[in-house]
Parts: sequence; structure tokens; C-alpha cells
Amino acid sequence: MSTREKWLWVVGGVLIVVYALFPVGWIVSLSLKSSADIANGRFLPTVVSWENYALILTGDASELFLPALRNSFGICLIATAISCVLSMFAAYAIARLDFRGKKVILSTALAVAIFPVISIVTPLFNVWRQVGLYDTWPGLIIPYLSLTLPISIWTLSAFFREIPWEMEQAAQVDGATTWQAFRKVIVPLAAPGVFTTAIIAFFIAWNDFAYGISLTSTSAARPVPAALGLFSGASQFEAPNGPVAAAAVLVTIPVVVLVLLFQRRIVAGLTNGAVKG
Amino acid sequence: MSDLENPEVPTMRRPWKRRLAAAALAAAAACGIAACGAAESGPPRLTWYINPDSGGQAEIARRCTEAAGGRYSIAVAQLPRESAAQREQLVRRLAANDSSIDIMSLDPPYIPEFSEAKLLAPVPPDLADRVTQGVVESAVTGASWRGRLVTVPFWANTQLLWYRRSMVAGTGLDLSQPVTWDQLIEATQAKGSQFAVQGKRAEALTVWLNALVSSAGGAIITDPSVDDPAGVRLGLADPPATEAGRVMKELTDAGIGGPSLSTAGEDANVASFEKGEAILMINWPFVWPRANESAAEGTLGAEVPGDYGWALYPRLRPDLPSAPPYGGINLGVGAFSRHPDLAYEATECITSAANQTYYFVENGNPAARESVYGDPAVLQAFPMAPVILQSLRQAAPRPQTAYYSEVSQSVQREYHPTSGIDPAATGAATAALIQEVLAKKELL
Amino acid sequence: MSTTAIPPAAPAAPAPARHRGRLSDRSRAERRLGWTLAGPAFAVMLLVTAYPILQAVYDSLFDYRLTDPDTRHFTGLTNYGVILTDGIWWTALAVTLFITVVTVAVELVLGFALALVMVKAWRRLRAVVRAAILIPYAVITVVSAFAWQYAFAPDSGFVNQWFDWVPGVAADTDWFGGTWSALLVICVTEIWKTTPFISLLLLAGLAQVPEVLQEAAKVDGATWWQRMRRVTLPNMKAAIMVALLFRSLDAFRIFDSIFVMTGGANNTESVAFLAYRQTISRLEIGMGSAVSVMLFLCVILICALFIKGFKVDLSAARGERS
Repeated sequence: MSTREKWLWVVGGVLIVVYALFPVGWIVSLSLKSSADIANGRFLPTVVSWENYALILTGDASELFLPALRNSFGICLIATAISCVLSMFAAYAIARLDFRGKKVILSTALAVAIFPVISIVTPLFNVWRQVGLYDTWPGLIIPYLSLTLPISIWTLSAFFREIPWEMEQAAQVDGATTWQAFRKVIVPLAAPGVFTTAIIAFFIAWNDFAYGISLTSTSAARPVPAALGLFSGASQFEAPNGPVAAAAVLVTIPVVVLVLLFQRRIVAGLTNGAVKG
Repeated sequence: MSDLENPEVPTMRRPWKRRLAAAALAAAAACGIAACGAAESGPPRLTWYINPDSGGQAEIARRCTEAAGGRYSIAVAQLPRESAAQREQLVRRLAANDSSIDIMSLDPPYIPEFSEAKLLAPVPPDLADRVTQGVVESAVTGASWRGRLVTVPFWANTQLLWYRRSMVAGTGLDLSQPVTWDQLIEATQAKGSQFAVQGKRAEALTVWLNALVSSAGGAIITDPSVDDPAGVRLGLADPPATEAGRVMKELTDAGIGGPSLSTAGEDANVASFEKGEAILMINWPFVWPRANESAAEGTLGAEVPGDYGWALYPRLRPDLPSAPPYGGINLGVGAFSRHPDLAYEATECITSAANQTYYFVENGNPAARESVYGDPAVLQAFPMAPVILQSLRQAAPRPQTAYYSEVSQSVQREYHPTSGIDPAATGAATAALIQEVLAKKELL
Repeated sequence: MSTTAIPPAAPAAPAPARHRGRLSDRSRAERRLGWTLAGPAFAVMLLVTAYPILQAVYDSLFDYRLTDPDTRHFTGLTNYGVILTDGIWWTALAVTLFITVVTVAVELVLGFALALVMVKAWRRLRAVVRAAILIPYAVITVVSAFAWQYAFAPDSGFVNQWFDWVPGVAADTDWFGGTWSALLVICVTEIWKTTPFISLLLLAGLAQVPEVLQEAAKVDGATWWQRMRRVTLPNMKAAIMVALLFRSLDAFRIFDSIFVMTGGANNTESVAFLAYRQTISRLEIGMGSAVSVMLFLCVILICALFIKGFKVDLSAARGERS
């Protein structure tokens, strides 16, 4: 292609980068504004101030933010781990075995994926308060599975279909059982796919808001997105823009790190990991 | 698409493992930051659900824990910012028979609902006498339901009329005398300035309407019909409510409410007042310590706090004293608390005159006890304390009903935006809506 | 060549017709193993969705307020009658449909452009572009809602200062004060956040367009636009429809942004937000459950519309997100 055309695409690429990073840059900039500077009407702070970070990490808001951060990490990691294990078995069966009911499982996953969370929040709330799961970690981990399992199953099935299964057969010829072949040969081969799936599942759990605000009420289980809405300014009547921005930046850092480290696999995972080389 | 070459090939080479390790490390580090706390043992631990403030309630909890001498300790847990959201959280937990709720900071309008739903432990009679002694009347009313004290009055809030002395100088307003809304609107309009009021679709709008209706001698609810929600009688179609709607509408139409009248709350109002865009403002006393702090930090002109003037809430009718809003927080004890006796003991400590004074001076939240207003420390920090006390004595509570949430949300739905108010019709429409909603014939 | 189009459910080889009685030992064992492996995931999915929605259907037949459990009583379909005759429901439905149509339409065009750039971009830039584009996808919806809300806010934002030369925008424009301006900001937020997802799906679709056809069209002297219309787009139809379906369903369930940005004020309430308010805020479990069930039915309806109306082949739909 011509040089001019090439430069056009480069400009397009730069525009995309700006598009993607601009709001993130804005929230970072906002988080560095002191409370007096917040209404300066400009993009950048007049003077860089760390007061908002101090407030949420060591100050008044830390009692709200730090437990929420801990909850978010704990709940999301556990939910991700569980859904990875469950979907690993399921995806293996789907990709590898030929059995009745495969379609049912995949369709169920699809149906669950399109399920409106709000529709099931109320019944869950009612059941949870009766069985004592309201405002607990398991009380969020279980519903998070409804978010993470479908995509995990679909993504992993796609990955698993790419695995050279001859090796498994070779192992079976060598006398290994189906289970041994799965564990010894396939698991190591499948690990990258599982890991990618885990990242995507983690993103989804990390993003949840509706379950978080409906099924928790204290720092015992409240995740960060739900806690963001609870920040307050210097008094109950004052808006907490600065601390919210700082907290928003901190919860964005993990996902940005994951994106930067694993961008290629995430794209592969989201687009089925099946665009073959 | 000639050069589309598979950009997304999952590779299984080593970098992947290294990255995995890096990610694991990052996760572990983040876990470290979040420092997992360990369980504690010792004296009964009371949990106090507080509304967000500047740390005053946490400090009072610490002081009372100390004063208890090991009989109990108080831990605070924070509720959301909006009072409606605070109610949601508490009701949801209490509906789950949550025994971890010992003490709650409750916004007064929701107290009847809590009481009706039997979510509050009964107040011991002898304690009731002690905690209401010398407490301003509106706060006692706000803490009671069906004629009985069901919560402990803690602090009592009210709105004042704030003005910029230098800027109202040429308007001909005499703010040392009672003024009416009409006078204020006219003066602001003549000066081409702004009058900051809360037109946001939030509780603040109900607060405004209720104060106006009460100031005109009426009430939003004329008969709460305690035992049958369908029997509620509303005063929204009566002349006082029409007057209230007229003032809201006229202020809006005069164009003096500022550009974001329909989304402005207390916070946005105080910002435009500090900047001098608004020369008049209806707001809670928190604006005073806020101005002083900003001035001390240098983010607000040092001369600005000195320019602040204050007066009683404006009248609606020249011949009738105004009925300013009553707010604040009362303390309830959860019905499922394991230690209701200790919790009530703690509320007595929390609401002591000394703690109320501390809370007033440090956090700007006015006390419920009248004696506090004579305290030199209070008078020094809040030169307007006498006006606040007078305002509280005149204040009218918001409608007391177990269905307050429905009433308030209906009001907000019909009266927001204020530009859409038809003084002759909006009141009646709201009354009809409330009746329909209470009869469950309409959504809200 | 890409294998994207192969549906996961399609067996590698056509399975021989089987009858219950004639299952070989091996297939029986395989079936048992299959269900043993997939069963737990299947059960968990059913448990956390099917059971609650059935409970919601049941609850929706009652007049039930959480703070007043003593007066709970059966009312049949009354709640549904109330909803369907109430203007609030129809406003919320209209708002939700508006947001869905606008965001999905814009995202489709924008996402396609992004996908094209990603394909064409200079190789060294490609990784950067790809990482950048993933960031909106990965950012928490609530965070993006706060970021955009603060940007447009008249006091703390910069949008009014930057764009005061645009007619209708002034230093004190209150974006959240009017229905249309508030919806505009909500749509912008949604579009920013979810276009990357759609563009990645389209990127995968682009990879499916047979190279041969492109080359042939080029040889025939077809212009870029002609190739796009005659070759690229028809071959991407499946990918486009799948992307449309998932984004539409996702957009229809919009909740987080509205919660953060307007709280439903000024007629910006979505159906999901309405359901949330009835149950969680008002604690009207019966009425709220009825709204929830209606929302669920709407989602099913949209899904059916796509599958039957547009003949979307769902088996090609992998890598969707919830």
C-alpha cells in the first residue's frame, strides 16, 4: 500500500489510542486535583495533589475503600477460580467427547449469559437473607458464577478445540486412562487457554455492580464498584468527586496491568482464540 | 484486506509463564495492601451504623468505648451518602433479622417506617426521660412515633437563609427583619444575580416543598391514618400547597435559580455561593465550617467567610413565622441486637451534652440539646448558633408516616423539574399519585 | 484459514444415529464421563438463574412489601396490570429502546472502523492499538460512568469549557438537567465503553472473509467501496449479526451508567433501573418481581426476534460476554 495510505492508517491508530485513553487520562487527572482545584474547569490540575489518594488509603475514606478492595480481589479471584475449574471440565467434555446433551449445555450457557442480572437480584436477596448468605463473600461468589461460567465455557471450548488431541490418544495408546491422559497431557497444553479465560472471567466479575450493591451492605463483602457510590465529601452534603476519582484509578490499575501484559491473549480469547496461525 | 495476517496467535512460549508469575505477584501485593484484619475478642462489641460525616461519629464511638471502661466497645460501619439509600440498606439488613445492627444513625423521616415494621428495640422508659430533657421540641417529635419516643435524639439540623453581605447591600433587602420569598426573588431578579436553592430530584426537593407548605400554614399530610395507608389524607391540594408551588415556580421562572437548578443539590449550591454567583442561598449550617476551612487552606478568599450573613428561613406569608426544615440524626437500636441494653446505654453516652458539643464544633452538626447552644466553644465556632436554635424551635418536621419514602418520591416525581410546576394542578396531581401508589395501583 | 465459524456444538464427524438400547459401551461411558465433567457447571448455572427467575415469577403474583410482611397476599396478575397501564413502564421501555438502538448503531459503524484500522495499522503500532482498545473494555462500567459524568458536570468538568463554541453549549450547560442531553451523555459513555468489544468481534469476522474473493475483486478493478459492499460485508454477515445480538441484549439491560449518572431523573430511567427501584429501593417485592419478569421477557423477545427474524446463527456466537 502507498505511503500516504499507510500514514492514514497510522493516524487512525493514533486516534484509537487517544479515544481509548482519553477518559482514563481524565479520571487520573481529576484524581490529582485537590478539593479546591476540582472545579477549575480544566482538564489538568493546577497543582498535582495527592490528597485524594491519602484520603482513601490512609484517611477517612480508607475504612470504606480498603476493605472493599480486599473484598473485590478475594471475591473475584475465588469466583474466577471456581468458574475456571468447573468450565475446564465442561469445556473438555464439550470439545472432546461426543455425548447427548452437549447442545443443551451450550444453549444453557448462552441463555445464562443474556440473563438480566436485575431480574434475579431480588429473589437472590430474599433467599440469601433467609439462609444467611446476605452480605457475605459466598453470597457474591455464587451469583458471580452466573456471570463468569457461560463465557468461560464458551471461550474454553473454543481453545480446547485447538489442542492437538493426537497426543492424548498417543498417551492412551501407551496405556493411560482417559482421565490420566487428560491430567498429564492435556492440562499443560490447555493452561494458556485456561489462563486467558480466567482473565476475561476476572474482568467480568470485577466489573459487576448490580449484585454488589444489592447483596451487600457493609465492608464485610461490599466490592469496590459498590463502595464508589458511598464515598462522601467533607460533609454529608458535599460531593466526593476527588476520592471517587482516586479510587476509580486504583481499581483500574489491575485491569490495565492485565491488559498490557496479556493483550494478545485477551483479544484471542474474546475473538474465540480460534483465528489460527 | 490483503495483509490481514493472523494477529492473534496464542503462543505457549516462556514469556507467558513469566507474565503469569508477574500477575500472581501483583495480585499478592494487592492482597497485602488490603491487609486482612483478624477477628477480635473481648467485651461485647456494638456496631454503630453511621451516616457519612467528617469523622465525628467515629471519634465519639472511641470516646464512649473508653468511657465504658470495658463494658462494651463501639465499632462504626458506614452507610451510603443519601438518606434514602441509608434507609434501604438498614431495612434490607433488618428484614434479614440481622443481629449485627446495634445502633443506627437514622434520618428522622424514616423513623415511623422502622418503628411500624418493628425493626427498633423499645426505648427503656427511664432512659426516654433522660435523653429528651432539654432537647429541642422538633427533635423530640422527630424521634417519636405514635406518641412514644422510639429513638434517641442526637443532633438536629435546620436550614438558614445565607447571604453575601457585600452583595445584598444595594438590593434594598433588610435581612435583620423577617423576609418573604417574594421579596428575595424580586431583589435577586432586580440585581440579576442568583438565589441558590435545591431543585435537584432528591430528598432536598421534598425538604424545600415541605418547608414552604408548612410556612404557609399547611401540611403535606393532614391525616397520617396510622393504621390504614389507604386512609391517608393529603393537604397538597389545599391553598398553602398552592402557595408553595407558586413560589417554586416563580423562583424558577425568574431565572435566578442558576443554570443547574434542576440538578443542583446542597453541594452545588454552596459552590456557587462561595464563588459569589449566588448572593442568597438556602442551606444547612455545614456551609459555615466549610467556608472557614477553605479560607484557611487558601482555596477561598480570606474575606469570604466574613462576608457571610445568615437569617431565619424566609417566610411565605408576611404575617406568619416561617417553618424551617428539620433534619439531623436520631439513634435507633436494632430490634435484633444481642445487647439492646448496652446499646441504649451507649446511645446515652453518644448523645451526652459534651459529645453533642464536640460534634457541633468539629463537624458542624447542630446539637439536639438546647444547653449546647450556650457553650462558648459553640458560639465561637458558630456565631449563628442562636439563629440555628431559633430555627429549630420554629421548624416543622417532614410528614410522619410509615410510607414516607413513597410520599417523598412521589413529590419529587411531580415537582421535578420545578419549571414544570403548575401551582394550581401539581399539588392535586401529587396527592392523587400518592394515593394511587399507596393503594398499589401505580408504580413509582 | 480461520476456524471461527465452526460452531462448538458441531461434532467433528457426523455422529451415527443412535438409539438408547444400542449404545455401545464406549459411547455410554463417554456420555457418563461427559455429564460427570460438564454436570457441575451446568447445575451451578441453572441453580443461580433458573431458580431465582422462577421465584421471581412466583413473587410477582403477590402484593408483598418487605417492611410489611403481615399483609402479604396473593393478587394474581394484578401487578402486571398495574405495570402495563402505567406510563412509567412505557417511558422506561422507550428510553431503554432508544439507548439500545442509538448505541448499537453507532457502535457498529465505529467498531467497524476500529476493526479496519486494527487490521491495517502499522505492525509496530498494532500491539499498542490493541492494548489501548482493550482498556475501555476492561475499565469498570461504574468507573467509566463516573469519568464521563465528571467530565460533563458544569462545576467539575471540562466539556463545557472546551466546547463552548458549539451552538447550544455554554459554560454553564447542565447536561444532566434535560432528558435528551442526559441521554446523549449516557449513550456516549456506553459507546466508549463497549465499542471495543464489538470491534473485536468484527475483527474476528474480517478474518473470515476469503482472501481469494478480495483478490479476485481487485483484479476485476473493483473500488475499495465496491469490494467492501460486495465482498467484505456479505461474508461478515454472521459475525455482524452475532455482534449486534449480544450488544443489543447488553445495551437493553443498561443499569450501571444510569444509576451513577442520573439516578433515573429527568426521564432517563431504564427498565432494569425501574426494576431495581421497585424491589431494592421501595422494597415492593411483589411489584418489583413483576417488573423483573417483564424485563426478562423483553430480553427473550429481542433474542427471539434476532434468531427468527434475522436468522442469526448462534452456533457461530462464541466469545460473547455477559
